[in-house]
Amino acid sequence: MITGDALRQVGIALRSQRIRTLLTMFGVFWGTASVVFLLSWGRGLERMLESGFTRVGPDIGIAWPGRIGEQYTPAAHRRELWFTRGDIDALSRLCHWAGPIGGEALAWSVVSYGERAYNEDVRGVERVNFELRSMRVAAGRPISATDVEHRRRVVVLGEAVRARLFGSADAVGSSVRIDGLRYDVVGVLARVGTQLWRDRSAIDDQVWIPLTTLLANRPRNDVDEEVVDTLLFHFPGPEHFADAKAEVRRILAERLRISPTDDEAIYVVSPAQALSQIPMGDIGGVFFLLAATTLVIGGVGIVNMMLDAVHERRSEIGVRLAVGARRRDVVGQFFFETLAMASVGGLAGGAFGAAGSWLLGRFQTADLIPVPILRADVVLLALGVMTAVGLIAALLPAWSASRVDPAQILRSE
Amino acid sequence: MSTAVAELEGVAKSFATGRFRVDALRGIDLRIDRGEFVAIMGPSGSGKTTLLEILGCLSRPTAGRFSFCQRDVGAIGADALARLRGEEIGFVFQSFNLLPRLSAVDNVELPLVYRRVAPSERHERSLACLERVGLAHRAQHLPGEMSGGERQRVAIARALVNRPAVLLADEPTGNLDSATGAGILRLLQELHGEGNTLVLVTHDSAIGKQAERVVRIRDGRVDGSGDGG
Repeated sequence: MITGDALRQVGIALRSQRIRTLLTMFGVFWGTASVVFLLSWGRGLERMLESGFTRVGPDIGIAWPGRIGEQYTPAAHRRELWFTRGDIDALSRLCHWAGPIGGEALAWSVVSYGERAYNEDVRGVERVNFELRSMRVAAGRPISATDVEHRRRVVVLGEAVRARLFGSADAVGSSVRIDGLRYDVVGVLARVGTQLWRDRSAIDDQVWIPLTTLLANRPRNDVDEEVVDTLLFHFPGPEHFADAKAEVRRILAERLRISPTDDEAIYVVSPAQALSQIPMGDIGGVFFLLAATTLVIGGVGIVNMMLDAVHERRSEIGVRLAVGARRRDVVGQFFFETLAMASVGGLAGGAFGAAGSWLLGRFQTADLIPVPILRADVVLLALGVMTAVGLIAALLPAWSASRVDPAQILRSE
Repeated sequence: MSTAVAELEGVAKSFATGRFRVDALRGIDLRIDRGEFVAIMGPSGSGKTTLLEILGCLSRPTAGRFSFCQRDVGAIGADALARLRGEEIGFVFQSFNLLPRLSAVDNVELPLVYRRVAPSERHERSLACLERVGLAHRAQHLPGEMSGGERQRVAIARALVNRPAVLLADEPTGNLDSATGAGILRLLQELHGEGNTLVLVTHDSAIGKQAERVVRIRDGRVDGSGDGG
């Protein structure tokens, strides 16, 4: 009964101060919407960085050889190091954390089709490299074990290379020339998009041929072994990168007869490690700060509006007290008024922010623009803070106004 | 033997305004009996409005004893005081003090809302009071749509609706032209004739003459008390 009365008084008050009500609700609305959007966007940015770094597989480690470090041998004797296919086999047998393991041989070569010719990043790979790089083919088939065994002249093109050479036409079934030799195009790699972490070219710009074929056409006269330029290995998760890295270095050091602590002899990197060096917390912090600032600005707006309202309505408070209202009746009325405004504005704002985030996610076409990621806790946080701010802003002045003698309020008007 | 509605013994009220202390009342002894019509008169600044505010439980004395309907106002809590205001006191202000967003009947209902009276009974009683002051036909109008005299009649209806022990009026005709004011005064006279206790603050001796008793205030003290006329 009394609740019905209270609600009726609230309705009358809100309707009669239409502009003020609308402005206050808009403040809550916009504040909530902004916070929801900002925080969702922040999460999206984190996700984007993560995916940008780990598109080639999150748990891939890449090792390449250097020279024996200065402190281990006189400068003149700093032997240049290389990895061989034998090292891959040894690592595959001995490693506990790292695996599977593959190798890559690199060569910049002229790749041509008809009139078009480009200098491309050509890589000798095996079947396992597709798995290591988390790559699949968009058309045709990958390089097979038989291709490697028979040193076939077959090629799988990166998507950007295919587009450069063939335009909109299909490539599979055609043939291209690499350094003048004819290769059959057996596959096209699925498009990767922007890579925030990569070794040399992006995968879209690479040309993959069987490792053995590349080695046969690029003999290293000084050695008779099958030399690979980099070793690729998987590890079970970011927390095991250090373990995998340590055992790879230990085993290679033994085989290459170098010190396992020689940092200049073997380099090992991973996108997971690179990602871990990005201050994700700081990025999140910046967004949190932005959101907090928005909340504060919105809050100050509401406080201002409510202070004004309570001041404007001091005589009303006085009259109500004079005809028998208790302090809590008056404070309660302001409470319900603010609650009504905050919940309508807040819910609408939360919905708007959520809808905006969702829509942007839906119609996102660009490759690496962060897509807002909506989370319930973010929406609830924004709603809760805005409502709390509004309530405090309304209740404090109403409470202080209702504390003084009604006579004093009535007289000051 | 008449019973006292209000009894004041040595009541004082002072206000702190910045660094200064204003002694508005400096020791008032006064007794108002049920059914009386008392006019409180005095020049402006004499403390007559402050006295009325204390009688209406809108503020408390800073010193002295004030009992209203046999209850010591100094000893009861804020909520009890609010209830006393709502149930036993009907206030009529010089500037009407109606809530501008509520219709006439809603304004009259307000004291009943805070007494938790059921809506249907509230409405009935409020309409009856509006009818008593001759404004039944204006029940749904907002204060802004009414003349000053009509607004004051709504305020009087609001003061009457709880059948209070005392009607307190602070310069009720101060904002009205003389013809309208005379009408309001006639209404108050009639209400007194119906048995209501009426305390009226005025500086107009013509109005004072209509009261049964005039209490003169000067510099926060009772300067003289006697029969009206």
